[in-house]
Amino acid sequence: MTEMNMVQAINGTLDMAMAKDSSIILLGEDIGVDGGVFRVTDGLQKKYGAERVIDTPLVELGIVGMAIGMALSGLKPIPEIQFQDFIFTAMDQIINQAAKIRYRSGGEYTVPMVLRTPYGGGIRGGIYHSQSGEAYFAHTAGLTVVTPSNPSDAKGLLLSSIDYGDPVIFLEPKKLYRSMKMEVKEGDYRVPLRKAAVVREGDEVTAITYGSMVPLVKSTFEKNNVNGDIIDLRTILPMDIEAIVHSVEKTGRVVIVHEAPRTAGMGAEISAAITERALESLLAPILRVTGPDSPFPYRLEEYYMPNENRIMKAVNKLMEYR
Amino acid sequence: MPEVEKSEEKSRLIKAYTAVILSRTLDRKIVTSQRQGRVGFYTPTMGQETLQIGASMALEAKDLIYGYYRDVPFMLHRGVPMENIINQIMGNRDDSALGRQMPSHYSDKKRNFMSVQSPVAAHLPVAVGAAYAQKYRKTGAVVIATFGEGSTSTPDFHAAMNMAAVFNLPLVFLCENNGWAISLPVEKQTIAEIWTKAAAYGMRGLRVNGNDMLETYEVVKEAVKRAREGKGPTLIDAISFRMGPHSTSDDPTKYRTETVDEGSDRDPVVVTEKLLKAKGFIDDKLVESIKTKAQKIVDEKFEECAKIPAPDPKTAFEGVYAETTWMLEEEVRDIL
Ligand SMILES: Cc1ncc(C[n+]2csc(CCOP(=O)(O)OP(=O)(O)O)c2C)c(N)n1
Repeated sequence: MTEMNMVQAINGTLDMAMAKDSSIILLGEDIGVDGGVFRVTDGLQKKYGAERVIDTPLVELGIVGMAIGMALSGLKPIPEIQFQDFIFTAMDQIINQAAKIRYRSGGEYTVPMVLRTPYGGGIRGGIYHSQSGEAYFAHTAGLTVVTPSNPSDAKGLLLSSIDYGDPVIFLEPKKLYRSMKMEVKEGDYRVPLRKAAVVREGDEVTAITYGSMVPLVKSTFEKNNVNGDIIDLRTILPMDIEAIVHSVEKTGRVVIVHEAPRTAGMGAEISAAITERALESLLAPILRVTGPDSPFPYRLEEYYMPNENRIMKAVNKLMEYR
Repeated sequence: MPEVEKSEEKSRLIKAYTAVILSRTLDRKIVTSQRQGRVGFYTPTMGQETLQIGASMALEAKDLIYGYYRDVPFMLHRGVPMENIINQIMGNRDDSALGRQMPSHYSDKKRNFMSVQSPVAAHLPVAVGAAYAQKYRKTGAVVIATFGEGSTSTPDFHAAMNMAAVFNLPLVFLCENNGWAISLPVEKQTIAEIWTKAAAYGMRGLRVNGNDMLETYEVVKEAVKRAREGKGPTLIDAISFRMGPHSTSDDPTKYRTETVDEGSDRDPVVVTEKLLKAKGFIDDKLVESIKTKAQKIVDEKFEECAKIPAPDPKTAFEGVYAETTWMLEEEVRDIL
């Protein structure tokens, strides 16, 4: 066990996986010589060579397309998109190619690719270095969308993703890259995909969240002695509906927290899924604490991000229903 | 050269040189202030001053600039007030974009400098549309689009090049080829030289020494003239060197050993001083006084701007649409 942050955990995991499996190739902008703008791939090109850790030209569409082709030909590519905000020119490759190749080829072709990309706010990146685009991906059947909320999960989820067999969009909450440290087990261990984690248990309310918001919801519940479950989805698509319904049946009150804008965000999908399955258990309307329906600002970032105050307002409102 | 012309040339070049020095002085000030925690982030422009100012000299007020995050010298020469630039970097109340954008993302409609955005090259197809509109509306204006050489790898660049040529538009593509895209040297970005890419689109492609302000000026002037006369777009590959880090978050010692130091022969400031001295337009005394004055202006403006408070929190949620939405109204009530 060593104490490490998420950057170190992901770096170590990539290292471990590459040492074991020579079909793993990393590709992306500034990931080799520079070690990545967040240093996530630091040292890996030195260790594994420029053929396995590829500094690509500046073209996201090319990076993802090339990774898909590698995956179709026996490799296990792990492309990096420097910021999730810059993935949009590659969406054709992601949505029309990666997500649909298994289906359109009758299963003859598959795309075992893990696309890593940092997302979210909290580093004063302004409009184009802060977006949380999970819902764009979650709207696409064929993709699997994963986001870790701590260094230990990052390792276990990444290892599971590499062996998963279908394309995974691995969203790394950049706010958490260096802001938290924890013990990370050595060696190979897996955190299963499609399974949520209950990271705090209680009876009166269920908070459903993921990625960057998990530590915030946890500290809010701890500080305010909220007697509730906190569900860390870990996999956003497909989400762990059983874990959600199980908790809602116990508490009857739900708050969903995400950084992305509210409208057509994951909160809407989670909320619909709950009412379809557990309406009778609900004691209060399902509330969402999210980013607003406006672009992400630079200077006034702290007003955009969900915070303790807003989460508690929602929790208190839920508790008013008896 | 007749006397009048000569004195006109002299004042034009001294104005340009002054802009070079102002840019360099401001650049240093912002980088230092970033290290002191007074500025959040910045993309230095050091090394690209003369190519931008040479280009700016070739433009008219009605021309449109679709620029990118390193175009401070361009803006200063074009007459964008320095405080607008500093206010943007601070994201304060007087920033025209109210602190919504990250530093280095300038906008100045008054001087036809289009709002800068982050995804590189995404402004190039947009510049094509702007050029089409100039042609259609017969404004006589030319659009100049700037971008780094790394940006030429994107689909946006190729789409824009092709369309500009197909529609024979008044558009000048000015590639600020500083040799590096963060850590990737141009030789690894592309095998062909940038200017040769024009041929594939049936466009004129030229290379120019961006450290030579006059050469850049002449080449851009000619390209702009052709564009104005309806003779179509040009790609200009302006060679320079990114003397600083990619941004204040970047550590170039991780990936490059080659450096160009301030005051060295490859520093465009030095090149320009030699050039103007040879023409007899400046001497050491004038240089000294321009530099002292620039430092004073920069220091004063910076401190003035630093006193301006943050924008009102409610402004973070305004201006999304001409008319706001009920969703946002609801959300803002919860937030503020
Ligand atoms: C589409 C896109 N991908 C990645 C980035 C991250 N990024 C910012 S600047 C940059 C390098 C740009 O190099 P170049 O176009 O040569 O311009 P320079 O910064 O050298 O002036 C990269 C990769 C981005 N802004 N946009």
